[in-house]
Amino acid sequence: MSNKWDTLQSQSFLECNARQRAVGLVDAGTFTEFIGPKDRMSSPHLPLMGEAIEFDDGIVTGVGLIGKRPVFVASQEGRFIGGAVGEVHGAKLVNIVRIARESYDKMLAANPKLPEGKRPAVVISFDTGGVRLHEANAGLLAHAELMDQFQDCKGKVPVISVIGSRVGCFGGMGFVAAATDVIIMSPLGRLGLTGPEVIEQEMGKDEFDASDRGMVYRTTGGKHKYIMGDCNVLVADSIEAFRKALGEVLAKPYADLAAMRRIGSLEKVQYQLKLVDLCVKIAPKDSKDVWKYAGNKNPDALVDMPLDLFLKTAERLKIA
Amino acid sequence: MAKQLRELNFEFKAETPKDFPAGFLHYGVVGSGDMEVIIEKKAMSGAVKFKVVTPVTGFDEVWRRVLERFVNETGISNASLEINDCNATPVVVSLRLRQALAEIG
Repeated sequence: MSNKWDTLQSQSFLECNARQRAVGLVDAGTFTEFIGPKDRMSSPHLPLMGEAIEFDDGIVTGVGLIGKRPVFVASQEGRFIGGAVGEVHGAKLVNIVRIARESYDKMLAANPKLPEGKRPAVVISFDTGGVRLHEANAGLLAHAELMDQFQDCKGKVPVISVIGSRVGCFGGMGFVAAATDVIIMSPLGRLGLTGPEVIEQEMGKDEFDASDRGMVYRTTGGKHKYIMGDCNVLVADSIEAFRKALGEVLAKPYADLAAMRRIGSLEKVQYQLKLVDLCVKIAPKDSKDVWKYAGNKNPDALVDMPLDLFLKTAERLKIA
Repeated sequence: MAKQLRELNFEFKAETPKDFPAGFLHYGVVGSGDMEVIIEKKAMSGAVKFKVVTPVTGFDEVWRRVLERFVNETGISNASLEINDCNATPVVVSLRLRQALAEIG
């Protein structure tokens, strides 16, 4: 459970808590936390409902460096109420993005020729089921405010999602992640809107068996999202692998990162609609049906394939 | 009236107090059955005070015993400890407090 940067690098990303991820994803010794446990800014709502509180309300925010870039980090703690977004948690998340964009504006005003490699970026490590139902209005509002902040960041500050933690990224936060520029996942990362248990509850076990972990990972896990194009970069489950991938992504020109988005232009929306069309056409019973359509002759082999081989072998879905 | 989060306060003095070096330390995650703690140096004439925030009722005496034992066994002195608890068992509480102290080294 040590927070030392050196020992964190080889650790499983999945096993790390929010603070360890925040510290380990940026360069050694560069992370400074904003509104940490010392400030004791916990939820004002949970005590009234007899629910446990946390000093940081389940999210670590701060700034570090990747190379010469100031990187504003938000890292959610899935073990605290499923990483759910409440009022304080949401405000910390929204404002770290706002501070990144305001820093960008100030830095560029002072030096219009500031090279891209020194401009601010945002990294969000998701570990959440979405809105915290105990403070749902504030939580939902935070989702909307976050989307607004992303809009304001466009053309200025790249926003990168990293997903590889226990809870994954579900609920409204699934939308939020989809609205970022780049998504980096590990095969153990999970991304979706309605979580597996909720689908089963609403649609029945015949439609979606949430106890079938293999099926859940085939449907929401990093490998599937990579084939579908929802995930841009697939990496191994370690802090170091995520940090290196972040470094490589942030070394690209802004225009390349913007091109990696899933939404945000008419063409991208039209592409998403083609995916819906395709889904109706091939009526997949399992994600393996889609993998096969994408050109993977033996989709069964992909399930347990080691990551380096998977990255060489797997065909990603392309629609003309 | 719905149940509210409870705050328990304790103060102990170790039988053989030792010097406690760190100024501020935070350790742990408030997961289900787990807890976090903030340990701060504080001039208390050798005593240690605890503030425990917990949803659990009916275990105040168990808390007192677990924390008193922790103070006596580690000799921690002149410190303020704040715990956010989420139904941690006495064993987990003891373990986390010792792990927190080990972080100081």
